[in-house]
Amino acid sequence: MIYSLLSVKRNQEELNDLLNQLKGISGGSLSSVSYATITAVVSEINGNHLIADQSNAVEYARIIEALAQQFTLLPMRFGSMMETNDAITKMMERNCLEIQQNLQKVDNKVEYGLKIFCDSGKLREKIKASYELNTQSSIKTTSQIINSIYRDYVDKKLAEHRLEDLLLTFVDSVIAGITGSLNRLKAICKFRKMITETTIIDAVFLLDKKNERSLVHLIDDFKNQFNELDFVLTGPWPPYNFVETTIK
Amino acid sequence: MIDNNVVDKSKDITILELLDRVLNKGVILTGDIVISVADIDLIYLGVKLMLSSVETMEQIRSGKSISK
Amino acid sequence: MIEDKILYNTGSLDEFSEEIEKLTNSEDSRLKLTPKNADSGLAKLVLTLVELIRKLVEKQAMRRVDGGSLTDEEIERLGETLMNLELKMEELKEHFHLTDRDLNINLGPLGDLM
Repeated sequence: MIYSLLSVKRNQEELNDLLNQLKGISGGSLSSVSYATITAVVSEINGNHLIADQSNAVEYARIIEALAQQFTLLPMRFGSMMETNDAITKMMERNCLEIQQNLQKVDNKVEYGLKIFCDSGKLREKIKASYELNTQSSIKTTSQIINSIYRDYVDKKLAEHRLEDLLLTFVDSVIAGITGSLNRLKAICKFRKMITETTIIDAVFLLDKKNERSLVHLIDDFKNQFNELDFVLTGPWPPYNFVETTIK
Repeated sequence: MIDNNVVDKSKDITILELLDRVLNKGVILTGDIVISVADIDLIYLGVKLMLSSVETMEQIRSGKSISK
Repeated sequence: MIEDKILYNTGSLDEFSEEIEKLTNSEDSRLKLTPKNADSGLAKLVLTLVELIRKLVEKQAMRRVDGGSLTDEEIERLGETLMNLELKMEELKEHFHLTDRDLNINLGPLGDLM
C-alpha cells in the first residue's frame, strides 16, 4: 500500500467533505491519516509503480492547491510514499514537533516566486563605463618594469575582478532593496544570486495572501527603479520553498 | 495568433514553475543521494520507504519540455 | 486547466521560459559515469574542483593586489604564477576535451562562494 502525503493542521470534518469532492492521482480516492493535531492526506497507488508523468505531477500539485485553499499545509514532494497507514502514523509521531513548528510558520501564508533577468553583458558594460569614469587616474602604474607581461596579466585580472565585485554589489543592492520593502509586508525572503548569465536573482517570499496587491506594486516600483532588469513574479503557491526539511 | 503565443508561454512558465516546486521542493521523506553508474541510477534509501523509481522521475523531467 | 500563475512580468516570455527551463532542469548537475566516459567523467569532477580553487586563489590574490600591500616584485611573481596556472588549466581542459560549460557542475551560486 503506497500513498502520497500532505500534512495539515486542525483536522476537521470539512476535510472529509473536501476529500470526497477531490480525486486522487489516476482517479484514486483521497483519505486521511491523523496523529495528534497533524493529518496526512493520502491516496493509494497500486503495485510498485507510480505512473509518473507530467500530467500526474501536475494533478498532484492541483490537489495540494485545492487543499491549500482551506487548510494550512506542508506540501510533500511528489513521489512521497510509505507502505502502510501505520507507517505514516509512526512517521508523524517521530517528527511531530518539527511538523507542528513548520505548520505554525506557514499558517495563513502563501509563497510567491520572483525571478529577475538581465542582459549580463549590457549590465557589465554599464557598470564598466561608470567605473572607468570614476577611476580614470587611480590605476596604479608603480611598476618599474614596463612591458611586463606578468604585470599586464595582473592588471587585466584586477580589472575583471573589480567588475565582478561591482556586479555583485549591484545585485546585493537590489536584494537589499527588495528585502527592505518586503519587511514592511512582514515577508520571509530567500534569495539565490547569479544563477546564470541572464538570471541574476531567483527569490521566493512567504507572506500573507492579502498582501498580494502590495507585493505586485512593490515589484512594479522596482521595475521603474531598475529599468535594465526584467521581472517575473509568480504565485500564489503553497509554501514549497519554506518547508524544505527532511523527515525521517 | 500573437495572443495565443503569449498565453502558451504563460502556461509554459506556470507549468515549469509548478513542476520545479512539486518535484524539487516540498517536504522530503528521506534524504537521497543519487549516484549514477553505467547509466543506472542507484538511490540511497533511509528508513522503510519507497520513493517512486528514478526512471519515472527522469521521465517527468524529460517530458517537461513542452513543445508547441 | 492550469490557472495562470504569472502575476507580473516585463520583457520577453519566450526568453524567460527558456531560462526557467534551464534552471529547473537538474540534468546538468548529475555526474554521469559510464565505462566509456569514466576517465573524462572523473576528470570533469577533478577539474571542476581544481578550477574552483584556482578561481578562489585568483580572487584572493586580486584582493591583496588591490589592497596595495604588495611590492612590485611580489606582484610580478603573483602574475607569473597565476598566468601559468591558467595556462595549465587550459591545457588540461583541452586534453580532456572539456569546455568551461562542462566544468560548470552546479556547485551552488558562486556569487556566495566568491
